[in-house]
Amino acid sequence: MSASPPSFAVNLVNVTKRFGTQVAVNDLSLQVPTGSIYGFIGPNGSGKTTTIRMILHIFLADSGTVEVLGRQGTRSANDDIGYLPEERGLYKKMTVRRMLLYYAALKGVGEKAAGPEVDRWLERMDLTPWAKKNVEALSKGMAQKVQFISSVLSKPKLLILDEPFSGLDPVNLEVLRSAILDVRQQGTTVIFSTHNMTTAEEMCDYIFMIYRGNKVLDGTLSSIRATYGEDTIRLRVQGGRAALRGVEGVEVTRDFGQHLDIRNPGDPQALLQRIAAKARVELFEVTTPSLHDIFVRIARPEVKEEANA
Amino acid sequence: MRKIWTVAKTEYLNAVRSKAFIIGIVMLPVMMSGSLIVGKLTKDKVDIRPRKLAVVDQSGWLAEKIETRAAARNEKDIFDPVNKTKQIRPAFVIERVAAQSADEKVEVALSERVRKKDLFAFLVIRSNIVDSAATNTVSYFTETASFVELPGWLDNVLTDEITRKRFEGAGVDQALVARLTKRINVRQLGLTEVDQSGQVIKAKETNRMATFMIPFASMMMMFMLVMSSAPALLNSVLEEKMQKIAEVLVSSVTPFELMAGKLIGTLFVSLTLSVLYIGGAALLLTQMALTGYVDPSLILWFLVFQLLGLLIFGAVFIAIGSACSEIRDAQSLMTPAMMMIVLPMFCLVPVLESPSSTFSRAISLFPPATPMLMTLRIASKPGPPLWEILLGVVLCSAFTIFCLWAAAKVFRIGILSQGQAPTVGKMIKWVFSK
Repeated sequence: MSASPPSFAVNLVNVTKRFGTQVAVNDLSLQVPTGSIYGFIGPNGSGKTTTIRMILHIFLADSGTVEVLGRQGTRSANDDIGYLPEERGLYKKMTVRRMLLYYAALKGVGEKAAGPEVDRWLERMDLTPWAKKNVEALSKGMAQKVQFISSVLSKPKLLILDEPFSGLDPVNLEVLRSAILDVRQQGTTVIFSTHNMTTAEEMCDYIFMIYRGNKVLDGTLSSIRATYGEDTIRLRVQGGRAALRGVEGVEVTRDFGQHLDIRNPGDPQALLQRIAAKARVELFEVTTPSLHDIFVRIARPEVKEEANA
Repeated sequence: MRKIWTVAKTEYLNAVRSKAFIIGIVMLPVMMSGSLIVGKLTKDKVDIRPRKLAVVDQSGWLAEKIETRAAARNEKDIFDPVNKTKQIRPAFVIERVAAQSADEKVEVALSERVRKKDLFAFLVIRSNIVDSAATNTVSYFTETASFVELPGWLDNVLTDEITRKRFEGAGVDQALVARLTKRINVRQLGLTEVDQSGQVIKAKETNRMATFMIPFASMMMMFMLVMSSAPALLNSVLEEKMQKIAEVLVSSVTPFELMAGKLIGTLFVSLTLSVLYIGGAALLLTQMALTGYVDPSLILWFLVFQLLGLLIFGAVFIAIGSACSEIRDAQSLMTPAMMMIVLPMFCLVPVLESPSSTFSRAISLFPPATPMLMTLRIASKPGPPLWEILLGVVLCSAFTIFCLWAAAKVFRIGILSQGQAPTVGKMIKWVFSK
């Protein structure tokens, strides 16, 4: 490897992957800058996990090039990649410490180097008392933290986390979030997939959205929002949603209970007047759509189809 | 390569620390010595309650003879030969039933008494029993057909008494009969050999231990070693798939490294077991001064075939495990694989009886059966010619390589497949996919 790290930790060029006749990932190009946190979003079954597996060379692309940490088309970078799969995989009958040492050894890190690292992480995650217990004795949240430790023990240059926060309580979520940010601080590039748009907005430098195998969003959060323009109005009226019935040009995208987000491609002033004529306005804010709204706008047709099916 | 060892080491340590392994160590000796121990224990637990036999004797003279013989037996034959006061067999008590003709009513009445446990059994002897042209049969009625000691004893006593009566009737001298009808014993010997100085070494009496026990035990040991290791691989792979560990593993090692590591780990587990078993067997043979019956080359061939057998069946089970996502799917695919392991057991008796027959030679060269049956033949002296053993090793090795190659193909695809219940056809398709 060259002395200076490549500018892109992951560089996919026109990558396609088919399973039988189904195209799982279609002509995907993606550059993940070294040192960034890159969020993968997209509905279930849209190609996120397939993309991740191609980065890990668990699946080989049918066409296109997959370059990871400067190495193209081989698994040789895998020892420098930490991976937390969506579905947790731990040996129930092994003790926590022994299993972590095994996972480290599989990444080529011997017990001498991995031992202190295991102890340090267990301490940090409040799991030291569980080190000698069998994995099956752990709660779901603890198991998740152990799985996370297994992915960072080898001090990877690239960390791939598939749904790292699912099923965590707020305390553990905070522990994990700060751990991820620390790892990034030390120069590790982080890719994580999530269904939680707020987390993605808060943590990610870049967002990538894949939908039915095609890339639909890719860029910084602000650049993505900018392409959608200020077409969203945050609104609170007395009487709530019912009071808006019959007002022309009101399309509620999301009802938060306390306020509504409505989509308005037209002139906000005209809309305000129309609403004010019908109901008492308490809040009226012109804003960009949230990532959540953008996600839903893209993926809603499918959700509806699924509901009808 | 280093990662293969990492996997192998962990597989090995996981296995030898498990309860199943400890049970495996204990199981074979227990099974082998179990029957001996049970036999010893139950020897003292024989039911020695007297067995009451009613005799309906129309011949008029046999019942008395039976009574006399029973009395003689009850006096000495039912006691322990060493400890003369300890009874180890039940006494036979004879009750004579007067019945002049063949009467079904008598049979019905006696049957009722047997049902009420008043009698153990009853015997009906026809009046014409001495006339060998008329009949050679007496009838023995019982509810407990599994108790063979009484009818067996009657068989001897009646044959004795009736033939004596027949000779008497023919006017032949009893002493002459006894002398002329003496039974012949067949003494079983090994072969006569000539040593280097040309001296003839007399053949020794063959020992059942050498001719039967050693080949039998060798093959059983091979069977146990394969059975206790190979199917465990299926469970271990299936666990990794069901617990989603497989995806973590294949992100760190290639599927081939994973499979190779698991196989090598299992190989070492099985070698550990066989070292323990062989060591135990050697100790036992030394104790019994039977080491002369075991050729050291047997141990060498045993280890070679153990290695091949484990790789063949290990590869098969690992492939099945990787292709399945549920225990239920695996079980239906396991049946044919289990049949392959058990098949040689069905051939045990014919091969043991005739180790160099065409059938034995052919079946022992059939690769899946070679590890067990060739071992059986090698252990049966004088054993097959060396070229046959070597041919067996070559064929079996080729088959092993094929199994490993096919298993690697199936494993590579199967380990990450989810949901679909695989068919044999689909697995074959995986083998030949690029």
